Amino acid sequence: MFNKTIKSMTILGIVAMASGNIFALNAAEVPITGTVESRCIIQTDNAGTFGNPNAYTLTTTPAEGGDPAVVRFDVTLADAYYAEITPPTAFSSSPSLPDTVSWTGDVQVKTVSDATGMGTYETDKVEFGNTDRYDLTATGSTWFQIDATATMGGNKAFPGGSYTAVAEAVCVAK
Amino acid sequence: MRLLTYIILGIMLALPVNAHEMVPAYPEMRPAHVDGLLVTTMKMFNKRADVEFYEVGVFDENFQPVPFVTAYNVFKLEYLGHTTFDIYIRAQDRNRAMYICSRSKIRKGSATSTAISSKICSKIIK
Repeated sequence: MFNKTIKSMTILGIVAMASGNIFALNAAEVPITGTVESRCIIQTDNAGTFGNPNAYTLTTTPAEGGDPAVVRFDVTLADAYYAEITPPTAFSSSPSLPDTVSWTGDVQVKTVSDATGMGTYETDKVEFGNTDRYDLTATGSTWFQIDATATMGGNKAFPGGSYTAVAEAVCVAK
Repeated sequence: MRLLTYIILGIMLALPVNAHEMVPAYPEMRPAHVDGLLVTTMKMFNKRADVEFYEVGVFDENFQPVPFVTAYNVFKLEYLGHTTFDIYIRAQDRNRAMYICSRSKIRKGSATSTAISSKICSKIIK
């Protein structure tokens, strides 16, 4: 009788230990860690394309065959960053040009993720030189549209070839 | 009208994007293992498929360059790649150095287009 009880308890113990191991296996965890930091992310939604409506003009205006550049700023901390955007003022690569090129450009808020908090971005922007500075006072995403037009001096024709002009999007911590 | 705005926003968020990211936004310089130098560690993430190289710099409040040392001023960072790098400045420049900036380097393209040069500047905590 006593031996039978010992035997039963031993079997029970083995079963319990095995079950424990099974549960332990089931409960195994793989931790995935990470930290959230305040940040500003600059996203290039559309790099833009020049249209060539006449021989002496390259423009990003959609009605003239162009496509404006669109850049998006994501901020995760309110009132911590400025967005400074400068349309192109020169070609970074082009064929040899016959005359000087004059540039016009414009930056404007295209869309915002928070109409209440970001609704005044456009009216509150500060322009200095060719650069527009926006005070990013709310968290979320803001899309900026960058337009640029290059006109060849003396109405001379742009030579055939590839042209690239670089707009600059800067996010500066306050 | 509001529904239309949400639809447009949803479509724009769903579009593929190219992002440039650098943290921390407010780095703190700490003493380096070499006397007279301060160091901080920055992290970058490249989600711009059109950019492979980035340049880092240290600037004062007027964006004039401040001497600094890092492994490579211009470095290659593959698409979806992360990197961590140390920035060293002289202790005597502690009060002058204000921003640590990273700028994307644009390759000469073959299309008639505009390109976006992205630049992110973190502000050094005094």
